[in-house]
Amino acid sequence: MTTAAPALSKPAAIDPWRRKARLAEWGQRAVLLVASLLVLAYALGPVVWLVVSSVEDEAEIVSVPPHWLPRRPTLQNYRAIFETPEKTVTYETSSHKDPAAGGYIPSTAKNLLPGMANSLEVAFAVVVLNLLVGVPAAYAIAKIRFYGRSAAVYSILATRVVPDIALVVPFFLIVKKLGLVDNILSLIVTYLAITVPFTVFVLVGYFEALPDELDKAARVDGCSRWQALRHVFLPLAVPSLVAVVLFSFLASWNEFLLALMFTQTTASQTLPIVVASFASDFTISFSFINAAGVIAVVPPILLALVFERYIVSGLTAGAVKG
Amino acid sequence: MARIRFDRVTKRYGNVLAVDELDLDIRDREFVVLLGPSGCGKTTTLNMIAGLEELSAGDIYFDDDIVTFVPPHKRDVAMVFQSYALYPHKTVRDNIAFGLKMRGHRATEIEQRVRDAAERLRIADLLDRKPSQLSGGQRQRVALGRAIVRQPAVFLMDEPLSNLDAALRISTRAEIKALHQSMRTTFVYVTHDQAEALTLADRIVVMRDGLVQQTGTPDDIYERPHNTFVASFLGNPPINYLPGALDRSNGTVRVRCGDFAATLPPALAAKLSASGDVLLGIRPEDVTGAALALADGVIAGRVGAILPSGSDQYLEIRVGEADYFFRVDKKAHYRSGDAALLALDPTRLHLFDRSSGRSLLYGA
Repeated sequence: MTTAAPALSKPAAIDPWRRKARLAEWGQRAVLLVASLLVLAYALGPVVWLVVSSVEDEAEIVSVPPHWLPRRPTLQNYRAIFETPEKTVTYETSSHKDPAAGGYIPSTAKNLLPGMANSLEVAFAVVVLNLLVGVPAAYAIAKIRFYGRSAAVYSILATRVVPDIALVVPFFLIVKKLGLVDNILSLIVTYLAITVPFTVFVLVGYFEALPDELDKAARVDGCSRWQALRHVFLPLAVPSLVAVVLFSFLASWNEFLLALMFTQTTASQTLPIVVASFASDFTISFSFINAAGVIAVVPPILLALVFERYIVSGLTAGAVKG
Repeated sequence: MARIRFDRVTKRYGNVLAVDELDLDIRDREFVVLLGPSGCGKTTTLNMIAGLEELSAGDIYFDDDIVTFVPPHKRDVAMVFQSYALYPHKTVRDNIAFGLKMRGHRATEIEQRVRDAAERLRIADLLDRKPSQLSGGQRQRVALGRAIVRQPAVFLMDEPLSNLDAALRISTRAEIKALHQSMRTTFVYVTHDQAEALTLADRIVVMRDGLVQQTGTPDDIYERPHNTFVASFLGNPPINYLPGALDRSNGTVRVRCGDFAATLPPALAAKLSASGDVLLGIRPEDVTGAALALADGVIAGRVGAILPSGSDQYLEIRVGEADYFFRVDKKAHYRSGDAALLALDPTRLHLFDRSSGRSLLYGA
């Protein structure tokens, strides 16, 4: 036989406390919500304006207060980029329209798509070569004891503290000696010099965090070093590989300084150079520049969306051992 | 099946000597345990058999072939690691099958062998799980499965039981021993746990600072240690040492330690050539409670702590200025502070040189 527990009657004195606690909880949530909205607005505001203004004309873009929703949406900038790449625009042909009224296209508009192609080629090559060079290098440094190992690690680290601008002149001299000026190879080679050390650095951290015994087990199980890398380490390193892919892609996609030095024509000019050239024309069309900007951010965003679920774990990989 | 022979093998890491001119002959199908404290070179020795460490000098032979420069994936060895080192991204099935796949076996054969190994280790129901979904004991079995499925010529184990809890460790020990008997292959097993070594080994190799201290059957190592290191490393609680002196008169040899003296039996006395200062070693279990304070072979002391161990009890006995541990029958009643008389078995005495620690009775 069991005795029923006496019904718990709520003492009246507890209620005000409970109400207070609930209020505090709601207050906390509200503060967090407002704070995150602020951060969101700060981060996304410029992007939203970029996209919105790319479908506005020059007059609307400078209106005060700014129009967050275009009143006269137009695709003229995109049409200019995709449909009339061959249209010759000069001061004479463009000036019979008032630039402020829109419809103005910079003289270098036709360079945008070739520039984008160059950018993609460079970025793709840099990503692939980064993996081809960085992965074996990192595995060797992390898991094989060889003479010069720590020297290799330190020299790789040392290259990361040299600012890129200090390398511009030496790089230019080398590129010129190699006859690679105005050739995308010059960009691929120099971007690799900048990105490979970072790639190796990130991957070494990740591989070192994987136990040595895993490597030994694989090799006793019948793997050569290459097979151990392929069958055991690479599948485990996917998050950090994604981080490396994104980093090297973005680094070469966004790079400006070296590209400005080494490129001269559409044979090798990348997107940042072409977009920058729009601002040095007779008249500047900001809405057109913004349309170009939208096109420029599409590939990185697509890449980020594809790899989204790996990004955070990849960037923190190797940060904490064990 | 393989015999493994070390010919003056040395391994150096920079200035650190990990293994020093090791000569060792492991017979085909033998179960050899490398025993020693951490840093003694036992794991390095194991890794050199596997090919995971390069030799600084010397050669290793499998049967009559030099394998010194053969990479691990071309040696017919399998290894079980302390951390198990299961591939986290593969299922249990793929973990076990991996070694066979890498060696190019046919899929049907792999499936059959994985199933056999899994059934033998009672993990057949776990084949589709990932290692992260297994308990420590199950992971350990998968690691064993990964090794036995290959049916290697040499089976290497690097402290495979040290991450298991005490009960599981004892039962797995028995299984490993059974495995050795059924697989009929050479086992080399590394541990720092003397109990593991004594139960499993056909032969124990005791190592310290890269040097082999003694090689022998578990009985040899325990009963006839060649030096104080081996004597202390095996046995729990460890052997007691009493500084003493040898005393020869009328053809008998006596060892005298302060108030206590014992006459050596003729069989032991005959082995002794030295005299003078020695270290007398008495294992805790080599005494019995004595009724009378005889002049010969009875230690008199005072009981300190009493440590019951379930089946026996250990007494901390203070003799003069030093404390010793002895094991006595559980039925004997002692109280802390009591005077205690313990008769020692003179046939089981150990005598060591005081400066070198070398045994005066056993060994070279």
